[in-house]
Amino acid sequence: MHGDGDSHILKIALIGNPNSGKSTVFNQMTGLRQRTGNFPGVTVEVKEGSLLFPNGQEAVLYDFPGTYSLYPTSSDEKVVASVLCNPSDPFFPDAILYVADVTKLEKHLLLFTQLLDLHLPMALALNMSDSAAALGIKVNVQKLAETFGVPVVSISGRTGHNTMRLILEIEKMVKLDSPIHRKPFYTFSEAEKQVTEAVRHNLSIDNPYRALLTAHHASWLPFLKNAEKDTLAAINDTKKFQSLRAQVDETLDRYDHFTPLAQAAVNAPPAFPNTITDRIDAVLTHRWGGPIFFLLIMLLVFQAIFDWSTYPMDWIENSFAALGAFITEKMPPTWYTELLTDGVLAGLGGILVFIPQIALLFFLISILEEIGYMSRVVFMFDKTMRRFGMNGRSMISLISGTACAVPAIMSSRTIGNWQERLITILVTPFISCSARIPVYLVLIGLAVPAVKIAGIFSLQSLVFGAMYLLGVLTAFLAGWAMKRWLNRREHSFLAIELPVYRMPHWKNVLLNVRENVWAFITGAGKIILYVSVALWALSRFGPGNSIEQAETTARLEAAQKGTDSTATEDLVQQRKLEASWAGQAGKWMEPAIRPLGYDWKIGIGLLTSFAAREVFTGTLAVLYHMGDQEADINARTETQAKATLREKMKGEKHSDNGRPVYTLATALSLLVFYALAMQCFSTLAVVKRETGSWKWAALQFFVMSILAYLAAWAVYTAFS
Amino acid sequence: MQRRYRTIKDLKINESAKAIAFEDSNLACKLTSMGVLPGTRIEMIRTSPFGSAYYVKADGVRLALREEEAASILLEV
Repeated sequence: MHGDGDSHILKIALIGNPNSGKSTVFNQMTGLRQRTGNFPGVTVEVKEGSLLFPNGQEAVLYDFPGTYSLYPTSSDEKVVASVLCNPSDPFFPDAILYVADVTKLEKHLLLFTQLLDLHLPMALALNMSDSAAALGIKVNVQKLAETFGVPVVSISGRTGHNTMRLILEIEKMVKLDSPIHRKPFYTFSEAEKQVTEAVRHNLSIDNPYRALLTAHHASWLPFLKNAEKDTLAAINDTKKFQSLRAQVDETLDRYDHFTPLAQAAVNAPPAFPNTITDRIDAVLTHRWGGPIFFLLIMLLVFQAIFDWSTYPMDWIENSFAALGAFITEKMPPTWYTELLTDGVLAGLGGILVFIPQIALLFFLISILEEIGYMSRVVFMFDKTMRRFGMNGRSMISLISGTACAVPAIMSSRTIGNWQERLITILVTPFISCSARIPVYLVLIGLAVPAVKIAGIFSLQSLVFGAMYLLGVLTAFLAGWAMKRWLNRREHSFLAIELPVYRMPHWKNVLLNVRENVWAFITGAGKIILYVSVALWALSRFGPGNSIEQAETTARLEAAQKGTDSTATEDLVQQRKLEASWAGQAGKWMEPAIRPLGYDWKIGIGLLTSFAAREVFTGTLAVLYHMGDQEADINARTETQAKATLREKMKGEKHSDNGRPVYTLATALSLLVFYALAMQCFSTLAVVKRETGSWKWAALQFFVMSILAYLAAWAVYTAFS
Repeated sequence: MQRRYRTIKDLKINESAKAIAFEDSNLACKLTSMGVLPGTRIEMIRTSPFGSAYYVKADGVRLALREEEAASILLEV
C-alpha cells in the first residue's frame, strides 16, 4: 500500500513530548533489538528497534526526538515535522504510537491532536501509570478511546506494565487496511482554508493538515524543491498568510477543544502539593548551593574517570600484552607475526583500553540526564554560557565532551538558535576528551616530577587538572571570540521544562552506555585499528632496499664499537626505523616542528594522531620499539609498561646536537599541543554532518591546529 | 500610577498571577506548545544563581525562563 514492493516492513513512529518517558517505552518494547545511525552516512538520527508481534510479523519502531508540537523551534524537533510532511521520506511511518505522560495529560494532548489530523493509524499510550496511581490520578481509558477514535492503553515504561497489551493493540491497528476517516480535530480559519486549498492543488498533497504544515514550514523543509518553495512563498504572500499568528491561534484553539475532553476522562486530586522535587530543587538550584553542588558532581565524575577506571584499564592492557607475548612465542618470527602483534593487537588494545573510561563517563552522564539534573544545569548556567556566545543547553554538550566530542556535538541539536549551536559545535572539541588522557599520562609522567605540594596535592595531578582547565578556558575564549565575529541577531530561547526528579531507569542508562561504547568501537575504533596497521607497515618497510642497507651499516658500526647484543639490536631497530617510509616522512617534516622542540619521531606521532589522538602513545610505543623483545612482558603492569615507554623517551637525543629530546619544555609543549589541536576524523565528520558543510569543519581544523602550534611554540620558548 | 498589566519580572518569590497575553509571537508559539496559555497561573519560585533566569511554575509544570522571555509574558495585576 506504500509502494515499497513486497519487502515492505511496517514502520511505526514513536512520538511524544520531551519527558514523556518515550525512550523508556522504546527500550521496554525493543530491548536489545535496537540500533542508531550514529556515524556519518545517516542524515537523520532516529533510533530504530525491531518489534515482534505475537503473530510472528515484524515491524520497525522509530524513536523520534521529543517535541511539544509540529511547529518546531530546534533542529531535533524539526526532524519530526519534516518526516511527517514528506510521505516519501524513508522514515515516514505506516502508523504512529503516541506516548503521553498521563500525569500531565492536559499538556501532552496538543501534539497528539495535531497528529490525529494527519490521518495516519495511531495508538495512544498513557505512560507512567505507576506515578499516576501514586498521585491518585484515575483515567477512564475507554472514554478517551471513544472520544478520539484511537486505541488507548495505560502503560508503565518503568515497570513494563501492559507492554504486551500495547503491542497487541498495535498489531490489531495495523491489520486494518482501510483508509482512516477522521473528522478533522481542528477546524481551519478562512485564511488557512484558502492557503491549504492552493497548496493541495499546486503540490498535490492529499491531507489538508499536511498541506497546512507544508505552507507553514515552506522556508526550511529540506525535501522541497526550489520551485516548490517559490510556489509556496507566492501562495503565502498572495493570501497574506501570517504563519506565526496562525500557529498560536491554532494551538490555542486545540487547547480549547481537548482540555474539556481530557478533564472529562481524568479524575485528578486538586492541586499539586509541595513535592519532593520542590524540596530537592530548593537545594540543587539554590543561589549558592546549586553551583557548589554542580562542582562536587563534576569532581566525582573526574574522580571516576581518572581513578576508578584505571583498574579495568590495567587489566585490559595486561591481557593484550600477555596475548602478544604468547603469539610472539608460539608463532614463527616473520612479518605476519609482527603484523599481528605490533599492528593488529596493538591497535585493538588501543581501542579497548578506552572502553572503561568511556563507559563510566557515559554511565554517569546518563544518570544525570535520567534523573532530570541536566536541565537544572541548563537553568543555572544559561547566563554564563550566553556571555560566551552559547546557550544554557550547551552545558550538556560541554560536559559530554569530557567523554567524547562526537555524541557531545550531536546533543547540541536541542539548541534552537543557529549561532549558539554552531559555537557550541565548534568549541566542544577543546574540552579534553577521554582520548587525550593516555597522552597526558605519558607526558606528565615524563616531565613533571612526582612531588607533593603542601604535602597534599601531587604536582602531577595538578598539571593534569591544569590541562583540563586549559581546554575549558580555551573553549570559552573561542566562544567569546566567535560571538564577536559572527554577531548574528536571531531568536534564542531558554524556555526549558524542569522535569520531576525520578530515580534513574537502569535499563535506559545501560542501553545508552552500550550504544555509545558501540559507536566508539565502530567509529573511532576502526580508524585507530587501520592507522596502527598502516603505521606498522610504514615503519617496517622503506623505499628500495634502504632497510637492508640500514641494517648492514648498523651491524658494522656495532661490531666496530664492540657493543653487546642488546645494544646492537637497539641500534639496528633504530636505524631501520629511520630508513623506513615513516622515518622518511618524519625527517621531512622535522624542520616544521623543530621550533616546538620535537624531533622526527614525535613528528610521526603527531602525523598519525591526526586521525585520532589516542594513536600517539601507540605510535611512540611502535617507534621506540618496545613490546616484542622486551623481557618478561607477562609480569609487567600498566604503570611499568608506561614507565618503560617513559624511560625509552627519556633516553632520546636529538640526532643533530645530541641534546635530550624530552626536556620539560618539550613535554609541556606537547601537552599543550594535544590539549588544543583538532586531531580526530570522527569529530570532523560529525561537525560536517551537523553544520551541513565542510566549511565549518575545515575552519575548526585549521584554527585549532594553528592555535595549538602557536601555543606549543610559546610554551616551548618560555620553558627552554 | 495605574498599570493594566505586569510581567513575571515583577513577581516576588512565591507570588503568582494569571497570564493574560504574550508580547513576542515567537515565544508565544513555544510557550503555548509547552502548556503556558493565557489564563495559566504562573508562580515565581526563584532566580538563577548568576541571575537573569527565572524558575517558575505554570499550572504544575516547572519551567526555566530567561529575563526577556519572562518580560514578554503579560500578567494580570
